Formats: sequence, C-alpha cells, structure tokens
Amino acid sequence: MPKDEEKNSAAPRHLPIRSNPDMENFDIVKTYNRLLADDPELTMPVAAIEALIEALGASSAMTVFETMDLVKTQSEKLRAAFANPVALSHGTNLFQQYLVMSLKQPGEAASNRNFEVVRQHLMRNGRLFAARAKEAREKIASVGRQYIHDNTTILTHGGSRVVGTLLGRAAENLPGDPKRRFKVIYVVNDARRTESNRVVAALRARGVPVATIDDSAVAYCMPKADMVLVGAEAVMADGGVVSRLGTYSIAVLARAHHKDFFVAAEQHKIGKTFPLGQFDAGFEQNLLDFHASKAQEGGGAHEAPAPVADPVDYTPPEYIEAFFADHGVKAPSAIAKEVIDMLF
Amino acid sequence: MSTAPNGPPREAAAPQAAAPQAAAPQAGAPQKTDQPEVTQAQTSSKSDAKPKDEKAESSASAKLSGAEIKARAKAEKAARRAQVKASKDGAKGEAAVSSSPTPLGPSASEAKGNKAKGKQDGAAASGATAAGRIATSKGPVPAVITEPKVTIPECFSHLPMAKRIPITQADKDVHPTVLALGQQMATFAIDESIIRLKATLLAFKKVIESYNTPPGNTLARHLTPHVLNPQIDYLTACRPMCFSMGNAIRWLKLQVSKIDPDVPDQEAKKELCVSIDNFIQERISVADLVIAEKATDMIKDGDTILVFGRSNIVERALLHAHCDAGKKFAVTIVDDPYERKGQVLAKKLAAEGIKVTYSGDFGGLRWHAQRATKVLLGAESMFHNGAMYGKSGSCDLAIAAKELGLYIIVLCETINITERVATDSLTYNEIDPERSSAASFRLLYDTTPSAYLSVVVTELGSVQPTSVPDLLRKLEESN
Repeated sequence: MPKDEEKNSAAPRHLPIRSNPDMENFDIVKTYNRLLADDPELTMPVAAIEALIEALGASSAMTVFETMDLVKTQSEKLRAAFANPVALSHGTNLFQQYLVMSLKQPGEAASNRNFEVVRQHLMRNGRLFAARAKEAREKIASVGRQYIHDNTTILTHGGSRVVGTLLGRAAENLPGDPKRRFKVIYVVNDARRTESNRVVAALRARGVPVATIDDSAVAYCMPKADMVLVGAEAVMADGGVVSRLGTYSIAVLARAHHKDFFVAAEQHKIGKTFPLGQFDAGFEQNLLDFHASKAQEGGGAHEAPAPVADPVDYTPPEYIEAFFADHGVKAPSAIAKEVIDMLF
Repeated sequence: MSTAPNGPPREAAAPQAAAPQAAAPQAGAPQKTDQPEVTQAQTSSKSDAKPKDEKAESSASAKLSGAEIKARAKAEKAARRAQVKASKDGAKGEAAVSSSPTPLGPSASEAKGNKAKGKQDGAAASGATAAGRIATSKGPVPAVITEPKVTIPECFSHLPMAKRIPITQADKDVHPTVLALGQQMATFAIDESIIRLKATLLAFKKVIESYNTPPGNTLARHLTPHVLNPQIDYLTACRPMCFSMGNAIRWLKLQVSKIDPDVPDQEAKKELCVSIDNFIQERISVADLVIAEKATDMIKDGDTILVFGRSNIVERALLHAHCDAGKKFAVTIVDDPYERKGQVLAKKLAAEGIKVTYSGDFGGLRWHAQRATKVLLGAESMFHNGAMYGKSGSCDLAIAAKELGLYIIVLCETINITERVATDSLTYNEIDPERSSAASFRLLYDTTPSAYLSVVVTELGSVQPTSVPDLLRKLEESN
C-alpha cells in the first residue's frame, strides 16, 4: 500500500495508518464538476456529497480512521479548488457529520463491523442523496404554496430551481386546491440573460404574467410587489443566506418598503459557516478592483485577479422574514438553532 | 447599562501609573502575614456584638433591650463560637455586617438564605474589612485597615464584594492551598474568571489528594459536605464566586457523588483527580486553544482590532493570529482607566511586532472605534438570554462600536455560560472593594445586551449571542 508522508501529518506518527490508499487515480474536483454538469438539477452541496461517496467507493479504506481521514482530505481538496466553497463545504460538512453520527450509534460504537455496515449502506444508496434533494424541492413547493395568495405580486430574481419549482407548482391546479393567480416581477440579470430568459419563459408557459425589470428598477418597482421570494446557494449558521449577487440589495430595499422577504432553501444547504459581513463570509470574489488610468500608473499593464464568474452576496438574517424549507417554514433564528442541533 | 466605567480620564498619557499593578498578578504573591492579625482583632471585637446563630441573634436583641444576664452569657458564648468559625461567618455574610450596623441586619440574613442556591449572593455586601488590593510592591501595610469604610446603599446591598479574611480566622478545615488561593482572589492577584476556575480546580485536586475518608464514612457521602464545602465557603467569602466556578463545582460534586462506595479510597481519589485533570484539559486548555484558532479565522489581513483592557483569551487569540497564522493586523487597546491592565497587553503585543495604539481611558473611544474594523471582547460569562457579563466598560465599548457598524466578537469558554438571565447590570455584579469610598462605589462588571454583540466564539463553535442557550443544551446532551 502506498504511503503518503505529507498528507498524513495529522495522524499520529507511530500508528501504521495509510492515508488515502489507492486515491492516485481519483480526482474529486473533476468528479464534482462532472456531477454538476451531468445533472443540472443537482445543487452544489449534494454534488459535493455525491463526489465524496464516489471517492469512498474508489478507495480501499477499511477502518474508521482511514475513512474519516480520506473524507477530510478530499473535502479539503475540493474546498481549495473553488473561490467560493461555501455551498459545497456545507455539503461536505454535512456528510462528515452524517458519518460521525452513524458511527456513534449506541452499542458497538465505531467497531469495524458496524462501520462496514455504514459503508455498504452508503455505497448502495449513493444516489439517494440526490433523489432526496429533488424531493425536498417538491416539499418546499407545497409548503410555500400556502403563502402565495391570489392577486399577489411576487418579486424574484436569479435562477433558483427551488423558487422555479415553487412558483410553477403554485400555478397548477391541485385536487381541492385551485391554482393561485399571481403575478411575478422578475429582476433580469444582464450578465446571465439566457438564464433569466429561460426562467421567465417557463413561468409564462404556465400562464403566470411576468414583468421583467432591470436591477436598477428594483426600488422603483418595490411598492407594487407584495412579497419577495429568492433562492439561496447556502444558508449560514446565523440564519443569513449566501445567494446570487443582488439578493442583498433586494433584501434591503424590501425592508425599506416593509415587504416580506422569503427565502426558499433545502435543509442540505445549511452549514456552520458564521459570516461577519460581506467580506468575511468565506469567499473571495475580487469584485473591487481599484485602479487609475494606465497613463497615471506608469503604463504598466494593470494586473488584477479576475472577478469570479458567479458572484454572490450575503444577506444577514435580520432582513429575512422566513425560510421555506423542506421541513417547514422556519424563522432565521430557528435555522440557527437547527445548525447547532445538526452540526455541533 | 454599565455603571460609570469611564470615569474622569486620569491624565490621558500617564501610562506609568499602572506599572506597579502590572506586577501584581504574579501567583503566590507574598501574603501579608502581619496584617490579618489586625483585621482579626477588629473583627473579633465586632463579632462580640454580632452573634451568629438566629438563636443568638434573638438573645442579642434581648441584651440590647436590657434583659437578663443569662441571655448575655448565651450571646457571648455564641460570639465565641462565631469567632472560631470566622471564615464561615464571612461566607454567610454575617461577619460583614459589623461596620455598618443599621441597615444590614435583615439583608445579611437574607444573603444567608440565598446562599444555598446563588453563590453570587454569598458574601453579603458591606465594607467591613475591605482592605483594598495592595500592589505587591507596597508590601505588607497594616495601615490599609484604617481606610474609610464603604457604606453601600441598601438597594445595592445584594451585590457582593471581595473581602480579605485573615488566614488565622479561616475554618480549620480549609486546606493550606485553598487558604493561599483565597488570599490571592481577595487581593485580585487572580482575577479573571477562567484563571480563578483553573486555580480552584487545581487546589481542589490537592484537597482531594490529601483527603482520607474517616472510618465509618464513604467518600461519596463525606467528601462534599465535610471537606469540599468548607473550602468553597472560604473561597466564596474571600471573593464572590464567578459563574464558571459555580458550574465547575456543581460538576465536581456530581463526580464525587457518583463514586461507588465499594471503590477503595486511593482509587476513588485517583479517579477524581484524573477527571479534574480531564476537565481542565477539555474545558479550559483545549477550549482556549480552539477559541484562539477560531478567532484567528475571523481576523483578516488589514484589520484593526479594538480590544478593551486585558483579557487572557483575547491576548491569546491576538498572539495566535499574529505569531502562528501570520495575520497582518493592528490592535487598538482602549484601557479600563481604573485598572490599566491593557498596558501589559500593549507591551506584550508590541514586543511581538504588532502595531498597537493605546488609549488609557474612554476619552477617544469613538475616534478609535471609527478606525477599527472589529472588536474582540473577552466575556466573564454569557447569560442565557445572550447578554454578556464582562468587565465594567465592555458595554460602553460594544454600544459605541455597534453604532459604527463594527463587528463585536465575544470570546467565551462554554464553562463560563450560565443558565441565569440578566437584562441589567445590577442583578449580578460585584462591588470593587478597592475603589469604593464612603461617597460612592464602583462595580466591577456590566451586562451587554445581545443586540450589541455580533458573534460568540466558543470551543464548540461560533454562534449568535441569542443561540447561547442552544449551545448549553447541546453541551448537556453530549454529556
């Protein structure tokens, strides 16, 4: 078995523990990217979990320690590969927690036999996470439906699949529950016009009247909206959300106009990242690039790291009215409590 | 909220003032052996007039009304007994009554009643033997005893105060290590909650090591009431217990009660000592390390960190961020004008090459806060409602910083979290024995409402201040 001296530095030296046996041929970052590309319905946390399960399948780790070590190093690798690893790290944390919890079951705790059971179960049900995540969206749709009334106008933006499902289902007739007649103000993002057009077309196809506005028109249009509904990339430990750039400004404007601001997010997006404001939320975006004109700077080519492709921002919990989650409607403080329950 | 922390700015740039005090927190400071005798003489003469038991109290009143000699004899007997158990007197807040005779009678007995549940109420308020905190450089000065007595208004009489108990008056059961520790606490040589806790646990370990179960008793039944309680009473008399000590002592008593009566003495003692060691390791040493690391993660290059005075955990976090993580940041120290311990911190940080700005008082608070990006505060304790119990002045700093949109990061070990709730600074507090006079008194702590705090960093994780109860619940579940 190959031994990797560098990576194993965390493990007690005297123990003959192999680190990441047989992992030379496995690239977790590629796997993650492939999973995301293959299934447009997959969210980042779930893709990270699936990638970790594939990593487990590719390795020959036999003991608990080896497995935990493997999951940890692979998670780190994955994290390091992205400028904004918040969402995927929530997935990997959740998976690690899940492993620890299943091994902590009372009885023969952490014994190898028990561990093998957990491992086998994981291998067999690898796709279960993704299936459950999709189910979660439907659950959120039925939860959120209660909050959409006839003649409401909903302001939204971005390409959130949860929000899309929610609005789509609300416009459908259910037995004993007629469809809601609502209007949508969709804030178009110039940089992602294709995505915006797709979302708007899908809603219009379901018979929902949609008005598209520019980012700069949000404050102007806010008085005409009754509620704001957005999706989230990741839900933070304080009950705030990391979401598409522009969410924060919409939240602030909604608060200024006393409109309810709702977030639709699945439980697997919750993580224990605790942000201290926009620039301390665990991601680097290089959106701010101060420079004078070339002539002023002595002609040298201005070199700045390129801004990331998918910029996000952090919306603090005080702007959020409630979360539509797959396990009910939750206030941000309830989300914070859940994080402590689940992940501490 | 906070009571007068930013008093008159003593000459803004006079850092030398605190130099002798800085030397004070050396452990095992030579205790003034001759001074206690004077105090004893004083207190014993008082205890003649202040009998101990309720029985004796009633007879004393009889004496006052001029009744039979019998009652007087009884009272004197009680007084003698009271003298012997002087330290217990202190704990129950009765010896303390002496100097301010009129208003304190009822409140003292009330304090006694409360004592069982609320350790904070232990030593009743009054200025009896409030020998101030003498800087060690001054050496043993018996003259301190003659300082003016503090009269605490009755409405504040629930607030306890540290008190020097002469070693000779301590209960005979008090272990020498605990005796020394009590003196250090009373003189504020050991001040911070977590340091007091650690010292207490280590002293109790010594107590347990030297303990032998008397024949006919079991350790589980005998140790707590006959050996541990006198130590605890004595420590409480020297200085009101902090919340973490209360938490840890509750834990220790539980461990003692869990000892199987069939286990031989030596083994049981060893077991207890090991669990105390583990407790210190888990809840204090490792906790501090983890908190320092988590706080480091919150410090970014280019930050200016505003801190208040000197707190052990904040100092650790700053040094860890600078020395181990190589973060580039500046520190602004706004000092407590009464203690000036921030100077020690300033010297330490500057020696490590951190850029330090020092302000001796709150005079330029807003100016300093405007130039800072984050505030690091060490909490003495966290209340169940997310409020922070911190050194007097923390609240002012937090409010000023919050108003400017800074992030206020609180560092707190989970052992410091209490199940009590406080919305003001007067429910739980402690009177500063040194800086209180006949005209005014100063409180040592204040309570910062959760609205002025951004995040609480504990060894379990970083949470919102209002999530503190969830943390406590999680902690109980895992135990």
